[in-house]
Amino acid sequence: MSCWLLQLINICIIPLLLMGVIRKTKALLQTRYGAPVLQPFYDLAKLLRKSETISGTASWVFIWSPRVGLMIAVLTAVCVPWAGLVLPEGWRGASNFLFVLYLLALGKFLTMLAAMDTGSAFGGLGASREATISLLVEPALVIGLGAFALQTGQMDLTAMYAAPASPIVAALVGCALIIAALAELSRMPVDDPTTHLELTMVHEAMILENSGRNLALIEYAGALRACLYFGLAAQTLLHVWPGFATLAFGWHYALSLGALFLLGIAVAVAEGILVKLKWRAVPNYLAFATALSLLAALVAAAQG
Amino acid sequence: MQLSSIDIAAACAAFSAIWLCGLSRLPSMCTVLAVQTLLLAAIAGMLGFTHHDVQYLVLAGVVLAVKAIAIPLFLVWTARRLAVHRDIGMYLHPSLVLFCGCIMLAVGFFLAPQLAARTLGNPGAAGMALTLLLIGMLVMITRRLALSQVIGFLVLENGVFLYGLTQSHGMPLIFEMGVIFDVLVGVMIAGLVIFRLNRSFEHIDVTALRGLRH
Repeated sequence: MSCWLLQLINICIIPLLLMGVIRKTKALLQTRYGAPVLQPFYDLAKLLRKSETISGTASWVFIWSPRVGLMIAVLTAVCVPWAGLVLPEGWRGASNFLFVLYLLALGKFLTMLAAMDTGSAFGGLGASREATISLLVEPALVIGLGAFALQTGQMDLTAMYAAPASPIVAALVGCALIIAALAELSRMPVDDPTTHLELTMVHEAMILENSGRNLALIEYAGALRACLYFGLAAQTLLHVWPGFATLAFGWHYALSLGALFLLGIAVAVAEGILVKLKWRAVPNYLAFATALSLLAALVAAAQG
Repeated sequence: MQLSSIDIAAACAAFSAIWLCGLSRLPSMCTVLAVQTLLLAAIAGMLGFTHHDVQYLVLAGVVLAVKAIAIPLFLVWTARRLAVHRDIGMYLHPSLVLFCGCIMLAVGFFLAPQLAARTLGNPGAAGMALTLLLIGMLVMITRRLALSQVIGFLVLENGVFLYGLTQSHGMPLIFEMGVIFDVLVGVMIAGLVIFRLNRSFEHIDVTALRGLRH
């Protein structure tokens, strides 16, 4: 029971806090003072109080997609052990890794539908780019988590991350997940989340038409998805240390959260250093993630 | 299966070779080559500590100084002097060669038991040595610039060195030294030839060498 409560508190607080930490780190790197770490919470509250402007050509898809998208994100966040919390036995079937990955893809599909629904040119452009990126990221994610599954003999994320893993597989899959997550979450080398130039936007172009509560739901779902991907990557990297799976609950939880925030800070530093890739160089960048996943699968197959 | 630290270092060297396959910028290729050679030097050092043999440690030091530091620096310097930065590959784009490299690793994995010496441990390292060898050839075949073909040759040479080191207790120190200095001289001569090539043809693109100069 306490596990459930903790997971719910995680879902409410950690995603926005992580976003705040990433933004603060980036600001400090650029020698700006930056907004306070809690700024995403204030932003969310402000957006929830604002009224919406909805395009005349938009249909019910535009209104419902953020709500369903947030629902999907919360459902997956409850089931997946991204913060190192292990759910009770009866709930484990829900965190089959293929199910989780495609559920997240479904949320993305809904965002793309909503972007095209408004009839704005940028929405269609962003949706097309997002679809291309998802296509390229998918093999890396599926093969990477599949290698981890093969190596632990479990399809289920909760059971997978409770079992001890081989350090080489964990390191390879962890790196692949980080590279893939940066593309999947439209972060720096692929897409600049703070850009103001519509022509280079990917994710931001899709949500240009959203405002008010609609935008708040999308922002929150986005933060939750970031937490999910970074959390999975952090968990995988923590499994490089063989003793991690058998730690006591408190240490396990503290280490998991610490690793999540460290990863967030590392991502912020990387975003400060890296330049945005040309659109045509993105497949080359993602090929590295797929290759790392393939290597992990090979090592897992050879050891199994 | 329990992996020894030598196996892990060999595996990391093979992974770095695959990483090198996907790179197109010459300075980053040289950096990855340096890291790979550093791992081989570390393997030699580990063997020295396990067998309590000073020869291995001397070998590790020489590999570190010559192959991991001097040669990559020389290559970077040559690339800068010739003002070449990128190698986009000949038939295959580097990101496709990356996947070919993964296949080479699979080949190495599955041939490892046949290649490994019966008496010694580290059967995994034999497969990784074969992977390095194959990837070296792959890089030499698929690259366009003469300079990256030298890098491919060095990866291949690293494979041969790794095989000898882990499967036969290494050759006597004097032979290994000879080979290392041969490689050094070879790379120097290759650099010189590439420089001359650049002077006479104004490029170092090997695909364009078949046509007559106008």
